[in-house]
Amino acid sequence: MSLRPETPIDIAADVRRAATGQSMTTSGTSMMSDLSIDEELNLHAIGWEPVELVSGLSVFSTPAGMWNWGQGEITGATEAHGLAFKNALARIHQEAANAGGHGVVGVHIERTVHSSHIEVSLLGTAVRPVGSARIDMNHVFVSDLSARDFALLMVAGWEPLGLANGASFVYAPRRSVGAVFQQQTQNVELTNFTAAMYSARESAMQRMQESALALGGTGVVEVKVVEGPMRFAAHAIGFASWGTVVRLSASSHQLVRPTAVVSLNDATVTFEAATLA
Amino acid sequence: MSDVTNDLPQATEHRLEELEKGLFTSDLSVNEFLLVKEAGFHPVGFVMGSSIYHTGIQTRKWNQSQELTKLTEAMYNARELAMTRMEEEAAELGADGVVGVRLDVNYYEWGKDAAEFIAVGTAVKAEDGVSRRNAKGKPFTSDLSGQDFWTLAQTGYQPQGLVMGTCVYHIAHRGLGQTLGTTGQNVELPNFTQALYEARELAMTRMQDEANELGASGIVGVRLEEKSHQWGSHTIEFLALGTAVTKTSDEVTLTKPVTIISLDN
Repeated sequence: MSLRPETPIDIAADVRRAATGQSMTTSGTSMMSDLSIDEELNLHAIGWEPVELVSGLSVFSTPAGMWNWGQGEITGATEAHGLAFKNALARIHQEAANAGGHGVVGVHIERTVHSSHIEVSLLGTAVRPVGSARIDMNHVFVSDLSARDFALLMVAGWEPLGLANGASFVYAPRRSVGAVFQQQTQNVELTNFTAAMYSARESAMQRMQESALALGGTGVVEVKVVEGPMRFAAHAIGFASWGTVVRLSASSHQLVRPTAVVSLNDATVTFEAATLA
Repeated sequence: MSDVTNDLPQATEHRLEELEKGLFTSDLSVNEFLLVKEAGFHPVGFVMGSSIYHTGIQTRKWNQSQELTKLTEAMYNARELAMTRMEEEAAELGADGVVGVRLDVNYYEWGKDAAEFIAVGTAVKAEDGVSRRNAKGKPFTSDLSGQDFWTLAQTGYQPQGLVMGTCVYHIAHRGLGQTLGTTGQNVELPNFTQALYEARELAMTRMQDEANELGASGIVGVRLEEKSHQWGSHTIEFLALGTAVTKTSDEVTLTKPVTIISLDN
């Protein structure tokens, strides 16, 4: 499909400016982004421009020795995860607002869970409608959609509102020696493990949904889930999910009729220095 | 919703109720989301089913090729549990189907015979209000991506269900005599060939049986996976997976593809 702007854009000039890193409108200040040239053009096609590379980071400590024994939810870990995410988000909002952005796209989300701390780091490019004024940090949206996806979503009449996230950590039950022995040769579902997995997942998804509703969204797209035991704690199950909250901003969904294409490109041949020897 | 009682946990019911109020969640990419809308469907929720399952033990004879029915049963049973739970969630949401279904098996440190079988996908509902459920009155399931789903819809086909067939097979070892007898020669190893053939045929046939039950006219996107899981090199699971489809309309609305040379690399 094609993104047709109201006014034709000077592609050659845009490429030149993008390649030299010159800001399009704010003269004198330099612009930095991790967008590819294609993505920049996509943004310009819908009348947006990149402003600055922004980040938010938070490391939250977790109480020592809580990972392996217990029952139900590991509230310490769940809280730490939630707060780390919240703080990192608040910082990236602040940075984006300071840079004059109206939103952040292409956010890389890195979250690592260690036995002593939980780290969340966000890095993305602040964007704004070309030449628009600063807005309050609370109105800035943060999204892990790529600039291309962002442009596509806007064309279809939807707008991103922010990142929804939710996580839950629970203790996985242990089977008694008797049960292990008895089940040795049987095909059986391990219902208590299944139940633990379900409870972690339900709490996490529920929290994600609540944060989406709090942002006033009607949907969450590109939901990512990470689940399973941690390397350092085999008897704890973690479940985390996040995605971009969206809302229909136009009066109705705009159909974007795709065109079927057959690419005539060959498979890409990469250059290998080793073959030169 | 449906007359069958389901065994979903309370927390799930609660989460699904919230989804019924209008919020949708989905793991579809933006492209897929827009294509699903284009095909006349709206995502209603990210659905998932999982089961942590302990597989039993079956003795196998060193020099005999055979199906290990107990293990086959376990693989079937566990996947069915996960799939059924996912379908129940979709039914609870009033969905017509589930697209982009992924089936995974994860092994954790809880014991080497315990594995998690998981099925996830995005439940969708037709926007014109006409039910698209399958012959069994359940939401259709399909492992097709949003792109494939749209393309299929343009050619008048509709997915009926994700069908699978599995067979866990033990392939006999060769005796010392046989090994020595073929050293230095170019020969086919008939016992291996035959065992692999038979196992694959069993898996494929079972998949076709499932499609027939749904009254499907074909299966698209079939994948055949061969995995040894945790059983050692001579015991292999053959898993055939595909989406059963039926033709619902003769109208082909897919435009003729345009050939392009992309300037991306």
